[in-house]
Amino acid sequence: MTRSRSLQGRLLTLVLGAVAGVWLAAATTIWFDARQELDDLLDNHLSQAAALLVAQQAHGADGDEREFDAAAAPGRYATQVAFQVWHEGRLALRSAGASTEPLSQRTSGFETRVVDGIAWRIYATRGSEHEVQVYVAEQLGSRSAILWALLRSMLWPMAVALPLLALLGWWAVRRGLAPLQGLSAGLAQRAPQALDPVPRGDTPREMQPLLDALNGLFARIAGLLESERRFTADAAHELRTPITAIRAQAQVALGAEGHDERRHALLATLEGCDRATRLVEQLLTLARLEAAPEAASASTDLSPLARRVVADLGGHALAKRQSIELDAPDACDLHADETLLGILLRNLVDNAIRYSPARARIRIQVGRSATRTELRVEDSGPGLSDGQRGRLGERFFRVLGNGQPGSGLGWSIAKRIATVQGATLSASRSDALGGLAVTVAWPQGSPPQ
Amino acid sequence: MRVLLAEDDPLIGDGLRAGLRQRGFQVDWVRDGVAAERELLAEPYAAVVLDLGLPMQDGLDVLAAVRARGLTTPVLVLTARDAVRDRVYGLDLGADDYVVKPIDLDELAARLRALVRRSHGQPQDTLQTGELVLDPAARSVVFKGTRVPLSTREFDLLHALMLNAGRVMSRDQLEQRLYSWGEEIDSNAIEVHIHHLRRKLRPDLIETVRGVGYAMARTP
Repeated sequence: MTRSRSLQGRLLTLVLGAVAGVWLAAATTIWFDARQELDDLLDNHLSQAAALLVAQQAHGADGDEREFDAAAAPGRYATQVAFQVWHEGRLALRSAGASTEPLSQRTSGFETRVVDGIAWRIYATRGSEHEVQVYVAEQLGSRSAILWALLRSMLWPMAVALPLLALLGWWAVRRGLAPLQGLSAGLAQRAPQALDPVPRGDTPREMQPLLDALNGLFARIAGLLESERRFTADAAHELRTPITAIRAQAQVALGAEGHDERRHALLATLEGCDRATRLVEQLLTLARLEAAPEAASASTDLSPLARRVVADLGGHALAKRQSIELDAPDACDLHADETLLGILLRNLVDNAIRYSPARARIRIQVGRSATRTELRVEDSGPGLSDGQRGRLGERFFRVLGNGQPGSGLGWSIAKRIATVQGATLSASRSDALGGLAVTVAWPQGSPPQ
Repeated sequence: MRVLLAEDDPLIGDGLRAGLRQRGFQVDWVRDGVAAERELLAEPYAAVVLDLGLPMQDGLDVLAAVRARGLTTPVLVLTARDAVRDRVYGLDLGADDYVVKPIDLDELAARLRALVRRSHGQPQDTLQTGELVLDPAARSVVFKGTRVPLSTREFDLLHALMLNAGRVMSRDQLEQRLYSWGEEIDSNAIEVHIHHLRRKLRPDLIETVRGVGYAMARTP
């Protein structure tokens, strides 16, 4: 597991890093800028001093070599400047400590050179009369010292300010992130089962999307849990009916005195078991459908499938002396899963047979137009009222009083399968037969010729 | 004891009817709410087993309707709806007992007997008149310390008279309590059973009120 990074530390590092970077850049710029300015200024002084010496030489040159009194130029930088005046090839005047050799080979202009291990900035110029050559020099080290002194006074407060800034930044970041801390603390304190939305309160704008997403997730989970709870409750409720029947009949069989009475009760017990089995199978089908709602990848021919289902269930219809017919084209390929399509068909046809009275007519049609494919199951039974049609698909809803032990799950299953296959399932009144008409429609037309 | 069973599921109804019959009840079975209300108001049932999910009229509506008409017959609600809210609602509407499916038939019979007993102001599970003791659960009668074998009808007749001790019961009232639908009743059946009871117990135990019916004295 990687250690999660603190947002606070990250912010602080970034801010302080940025500040330090800017300071460094500023200091560097100032350094170069100041050095340039200082060089210009001091070079100017050198050239002026040289011009002064040339002028002085023009007035009173007596030819003797003299040493300039260094004490006459007091100050910290006194020993760091030097000059030489050459007159007609002889050294006429020099500052104390200045060498007796010409400071430079050049006769005019600036030069930087090392004399006796010390870097000097030298300015050379010639007088127009008497062959006067003047050198004025200054140690480069003194320039650096000035620059350092200048920058030190600037960098010192900056260095002191950085820890102070870090402290202030830490405090500011902490203050700024307080709502986030509050939210995490609030979330940590929530009961694990709590799925009510987190109140928005004074949540900062940046955190609203996160909070909204979180609340959306809570709502979805709550919805899922609620539907699970409802399903479990409904399933338990619905299983009670066959179990009650089985229990009562078994107890009757146990207490029966006559053979016929016992046999009747035992047969009824078995019927109850069959009903419970059917209910459990339907519940499992539904649960599987809910768990794996992936769309079909294969293609299925609806026509032969319908023929097979009608042939399978036709016996029940004949037993009730109902007439059942199938009207389907030779082939009707659909992009749908065959197993699911079979369950769907079986449910619809079984419902039509089960809930239609004896001698009713049942018609199954498979049709296809350019834009859609339709499966229609119609009967001449009692149909459903508008109110009952509205309640179809409520799990375990069933029309009471028809004497049929349905579970009310068939429609839920059919609806779910239709949805998975991208089809729509609808119930209406059958115009042709007068009973219920159930239509499954796929938005897939016939393939282009 | 004659009870009304209101249950729409054919398997459950059939099982409950057979089971209750085995346990000495006369059972009339109706399959929808409208019939349940009609029969309850028409016949003097000792108790009713009422399913709630009835077609045409919900069981709770039946209950509310018959209670509004002043019917005091004990009602046992037998249902798959087990939420506390449903139970409270059912009991408040006037149900005397609320039982969630599935149920044991012996328990159902015992609960029905208890309901009938309480509805007649009998706190004990046996009925006693002088030296005569009747146990509805064991369906036994003991007189002066010895057990007296009685036929089903004789037992039911004695039970009805003892439950209504101190009241005169007409022949019609007694017949309605003894026989369920479709059972053939001889015109003098009640007289014959009374005669047998007097012979097996004591001649003066059941009094004849000429022109009205029969009565047993309430003993302090």
